[in-house]
Amino acid sequence: MFLDFVEGPLWYVAAAVFLVGVAWRLAAIARAGLKDDLSVPRTPGTTGAVATVFRRFLPHREFMRPAAFQMVAGYAFHIGLFVLVLFAAPHVEFIEQRILGFGWTPAPHWVFLLAANFAFAGLLLLWLRRMLDPVLRRISTPDDHIGTGLTFVVMFTGCMALFESHDFLRALHMLFVDLLLIYFPFSRLMHAFTFIFSRGFTGATMARKGVSA
Amino acid sequence: MGKKSPEDGGRRRRMMFRAFALMLAAVLLLPLMPYAVAYVGGITNPNPGADLWRQVRQREAPPEVRTQVQGVDTGVLINARGESWREFRMEQLIPWSGWFLGGMLVAIALFYLLRGRIRIDNGRSGILVQRFTVNQRMAHWFMAVVFTILGLTGLVLLYGRFVLIPLLGPEGFSVTAAACKEIHNLFGPIFPLAVLLILFYFARGNGFHWVDFKWLAKGGGLLGGHASAGHFNMGQKLWFWGTLLFGLSLVASGFVLVFPNFGQGRLIMEWAHFSHGIAAVLFIGGAFAHSYIGTLGMEGALEAMTNGYVDANWAKEHHDLWYAQMEAEGKVGVVPERGLSESSGGPETAGG
Repeated sequence: MFLDFVEGPLWYVAAAVFLVGVAWRLAAIARAGLKDDLSVPRTPGTTGAVATVFRRFLPHREFMRPAAFQMVAGYAFHIGLFVLVLFAAPHVEFIEQRILGFGWTPAPHWVFLLAANFAFAGLLLLWLRRMLDPVLRRISTPDDHIGTGLTFVVMFTGCMALFESHDFLRALHMLFVDLLLIYFPFSRLMHAFTFIFSRGFTGATMARKGVSA
Repeated sequence: MGKKSPEDGGRRRRMMFRAFALMLAAVLLLPLMPYAVAYVGGITNPNPGADLWRQVRQREAPPEVRTQVQGVDTGVLINARGESWREFRMEQLIPWSGWFLGGMLVAIALFYLLRGRIRIDNGRSGILVQRFTVNQRMAHWFMAVVFTILGLTGLVLLYGRFVLIPLLGPEGFSVTAAACKEIHNLFGPIFPLAVLLILFYFARGNGFHWVDFKWLAKGGGLLGGHASAGHFNMGQKLWFWGTLLFGLSLVASGFVLVFPNFGQGRLIMEWAHFSHGIAAVLFIGGAFAHSYIGTLGMEGALEAMTNGYVDANWAKEHHDLWYAQMEAEGKVGVVPERGLSESSGGPETAGG
């Protein structure tokens, strides 16, 4: 009953809110447009935008050492989460049966374990740093903690339901997945999509000014 | 027909008596013949059923077993040692560890009732001293979170059958135990990272000095008089080394248990289970005391691990040698530009 609800009506509502919300947010960013820049660009903005999108995957050389922790923990979490979401066997099956109609080869169990460990360790370390570092603590809002907490709970309940031994555990996981999808468009979790826009905007603006961004 | 004489009658009765005595002796003694023959080393009567089960249970030397399944212990049909392991778990590990953990909680409660919260005698001065860097606090809380998750799920797996079935029922416990098993196995491999971080960020300052033994002799000041201490006192140093010892034991035995695909047999798994259970229970018991003295038990202690700073009077009362060193270095009352200078800190102990 509970499983039917969270995998049925609630799942459809959550997916709709997620898709419409994300599209709405991205459209709003696109519609905001740019102020006319009448100066002659020193270097092409498009080149700067594309270059910055890729260059920001690593910190500036000057900040490499201070940002080493965030970089390692951040990559551990994001790569781990990416593998978990798209290559865990139950997820591939769900995507095939409920979303796309086709699937792909899931990751072997040892890869799943490795990815889960990286993701959990990375997320915990980043969250702890957010709470313990005085500067990060001050610039953090409840939204940051809710988003992180929901992501953690989704991963945690996912592990509880790993072997799908009980419907209740699967339903619990799906409930938090639905909640995360509903919360996603209204939160900073949108950075999963908007990071390209923000990097591109900064890169284009700075390139036109002749500044290396 | 002649008349029977009295002699004939007597003879007949004697014959009947002898025949009866012979029959009685035969009935009693004949069944004992096989035992007598076996006792003097006579014939052996093969019993295929008994031989089969003796081989299956493998009570004697391992038999020559052939099986299509190739792997460690695949030739073992019934693990006779498994019963010893089960008896140890059910009759020794679970009740004894339960008494130990319960005893720890009772001892802490009694200590709190008798001693109360340890206050800062001279009150707060308002002057702060940095005690731990961001990285040290992060390593500590990372260990705390991972340890708590593993500890709680491990306790459910150890005591759940006795504690949770009466509360949740068999079905509820089944769900809880399944979830805890998955979480425990999945978080286990993160634990070595927590142990490594603790080692990396707290090794410095945790070597033993003569003053630590004097601190111990004075019971950390509980037996009267002031007990001097550096950045870490003897209790904290023992906890640090205990964390490493128990942590490494749990990591090694945990890997043996959770990855049974590296050639380890049942005997090694049983030993790993023994050491995992014992180390975990001792570690959890120590964590009870550590958590108590770091929160409820002592005023001003928790903030060292939350914001990284302690009051100068707290430092003077509990870690006077370290305070004197900080004062000599001009670090008392100096609050660094938070988040800038300490964010990129390395393994160095703050002022330690």
